[in-house]
Amino acid sequence: MTATIRTEKLTKRYGDSYALNALDLTVEAGEVFGYLGPNGAGKSTTIALLLGLMRPTSGTASVFGLDPWSDGSAIHRRLAYVPSEANLWPALTAAEVLEFLGRLHGEVDEPYRHQLIERFFLTPNKKIRALSHGNRQKILLIAALASRADLLLFDEPTTGLDPLMEQVFRACVREACDRGQTVLLSSHILSEVEAVCDRVAMLHEGRIIESGRVDALRSLSSVHLRVEVDGAVPDISALAGVSKVTVDRQVIECDVVGPMDAVLAVMAPVGIRRITTHEPSLEEVFVSSYGEGSALDGKGL
Amino acid sequence: MSSGTVVAGHAFRQIRMSASIVAVVFAGTIAATASSYSTTFPTEESRQQVAQLASGDRGLAILFGPTTAIGTVGGYTVYKCFVFLAVIGSLWALLATTRLLRGEEDAGRWQLVLAGAIRPSRATAVTIAALGAAIGVIFVVTAFGVALVGRSRSIGFGIGESLLCGMSLIVLPAVFVGVAAVTSQIGGTRRMATTIAMAVFVGSYVVRMIGDSSGTLQWMLWTTPFGWTELVQPLTMNDPWPIGIGFVVAIALAALATVGAKHRDVGDGLLATSDVKQLRRFGLQSSFRFSLRLELPVVVAWCGGAAAVAVVYGIISKMTVTSVPASLNNVLDRFAVQGTFANQFFGVAFLLVAAVVALIPAGQLGAASAEETSGRLEHLLSRSTTRAGWFVGRLVICACAIVAAAVVSGVGAWFGASTQGVPVSFGSLLGAGLNVVPTALVALGIGAVVFAFAPRSAATIVYVVVIWSVLLDLLSSLVTGAAWLDRVSLFAPMALAPAQSIHASTLLITGAIGIALCMFGTLLFARRDLANR
Repeated sequence: MTATIRTEKLTKRYGDSYALNALDLTVEAGEVFGYLGPNGAGKSTTIALLLGLMRPTSGTASVFGLDPWSDGSAIHRRLAYVPSEANLWPALTAAEVLEFLGRLHGEVDEPYRHQLIERFFLTPNKKIRALSHGNRQKILLIAALASRADLLLFDEPTTGLDPLMEQVFRACVREACDRGQTVLLSSHILSEVEAVCDRVAMLHEGRIIESGRVDALRSLSSVHLRVEVDGAVPDISALAGVSKVTVDRQVIECDVVGPMDAVLAVMAPVGIRRITTHEPSLEEVFVSSYGEGSALDGKGL
Repeated sequence: MSSGTVVAGHAFRQIRMSASIVAVVFAGTIAATASSYSTTFPTEESRQQVAQLASGDRGLAILFGPTTAIGTVGGYTVYKCFVFLAVIGSLWALLATTRLLRGEEDAGRWQLVLAGAIRPSRATAVTIAALGAAIGVIFVVTAFGVALVGRSRSIGFGIGESLLCGMSLIVLPAVFVGVAAVTSQIGGTRRMATTIAMAVFVGSYVVRMIGDSSGTLQWMLWTTPFGWTELVQPLTMNDPWPIGIGFVVAIALAALATVGAKHRDVGDGLLATSDVKQLRRFGLQSSFRFSLRLELPVVVAWCGGAAAVAVVYGIISKMTVTSVPASLNNVLDRFAVQGTFANQFFGVAFLLVAAVVALIPAGQLGAASAEETSGRLEHLLSRSTTRAGWFVGRLVICACAIVAAAVVSGVGAWFGASTQGVPVSFGSLLGAGLNVVPTALVALGIGAVVFAFAPRSAATIVYVVVIWSVLLDLLSSLVTGAAWLDRVSLFAPMALAPAQSIHASTLLITGAIGIALCMFGTLLFARRDLANR
């Protein structure tokens, strides 16, 4: 695989404050990459740097092997971007905005655009000022998807969309992936990222704190274990990777990080009556990384 | 604290700074003018000399304001300050009102306000009250400034007439708050509301000029808010009645706006426009054509306004020619203008036209700033448009608007004059129109450089530079000993054509400076982060 996006020590600083701090990121061609992080983590700054809308303070970024600042036009011909806020021209109609953005990009799959207009239930001859936020967002999504660009940069693209339209969006992203397009999806809607992304990176205060395949990230987090035993409950609190142990008569519950061999080895001699595990969702991984009591709580990196 | 108080307080906070600046400009200009007059013309004899030169002259009254009592400190001060303070106050009121009553709605913030425990009509009423409070600040500072400078024995303004002077100067802002409050209910967007209010402003001003052009037409002054201010004749005759008319009209308009707010949908205007229309491909082919599509209505409006003003000047030139006193030539000589009286008149008139044309960049750069700060520019720059390409396109459109406004001004003035049989050639007035282009390009260049650093300030800086320059130009030419001021004016290199001969080299150098500034601004803009980031 070749990298469509690569950043090395990419940094954006405003005075003493870091919007992005030595970011190393690689997005391979053809993959759907989830870019996660709480508000103010630096997701939009990363995308602005990749678009060449801002200059990095230090470090490098490349898109299709080109520098976004100096080769912006060449890069923009091969990508499409959807920002989180659909600020459009109020006196224009949706059709006029689509026509204009299409012409600016240069390449539009007209039949697919018509299909997208129908799938997203967009009324094309309505003026922007009469459209809701979600409907304005649809215009940008349709313009980006209909361009069939090699790279789709989505910055919280489903803001304002109803659940039905979110499903349509996810289907469109999967179709784009099937066509070999690369997608960078910045979001904090974890179910969305989980549903469509191959790999994810989690950003915190301008730095990546976790990255990898969604499955692998899940495995990094603890699995909740509930075991009902026949005999006396053994003490497992001292075992490596075991935490939050609670015992209620014959039932023992705990969180386990890593292999469960040691836990099961201690339980098996007592006699296991019933065992259940709960895999963490990406949301739980996210909360355990950023939320109260997380490793980052009060410290950052 | 009630919702109304909170909304009014918030509105007042948004405009208190600009109102304070207007207040200081009002008080400072009057104080400086009165002081300079009493110093420059210390004796009764010297004042009578000035009075004989221009007192009661229609031409000067049309251009700058009432000249009836120019031989007194108060009369001269009002004559000198009337046009500019009236224009500044009216424009501030108009723009502040549409910003609060329509701009907030366009941005979606008004809806947040209305989501609280307050009805649209009450929110509108308390916002207008906040504007009234800001006008009150202008009144207090102005009256205090006039009274303070009036304590000087050589000036001698009483407390009562200082208060009346302050009142006379806030009549126009009060009326235009009312006008803009009504247009904010009529127009569906801030732009439309401002455009309609601007049309009322220009119309009122033109009526004022016509009213001042002849004794038989003076009744027309009672039909325009500019006339109400003028008829007070503060610091001399001190007639308070026209002020009453102004405030009654302002209150009536405010009430009308409040009723309008009650009867319309939020986000919409009383002037119903359809939200559905067929695809119109004009201007959608490139970012340059798109900018042209967005700005064309504004450019046409500016050109129309410039042409209208020029036509009126052309028509009025006949009236000034037929009633010109020989002594008026001496007054115009202070501008170092030469030739026939008609040419001299047009020479000074085109200075004011130049100011109108030089303000075009302010509007255009303001629109460019709105594109950038709203995030709309990102849609263009993340596609095939380059920063330099977009910005140069905007500057080119503005430059074309300047040339177009200059041409229609020249043609308009010639048309107006020719209908009255005034002997001025088409070529000389077209040349006088085009003569303002290089100066306006410098204003554009200054704005472009400011835009490259601080896009939100670009329009304001152009407004300040142009208005201040006109003020300096008039001050330097009308006040003995203040000629040095002329050198720091934007209009200093501009010949007052057709009364002064145009030097091609000066035009080329001035134009080249403007273009160089535009290029420099483009280079700087292409190297900075976008402002919405």
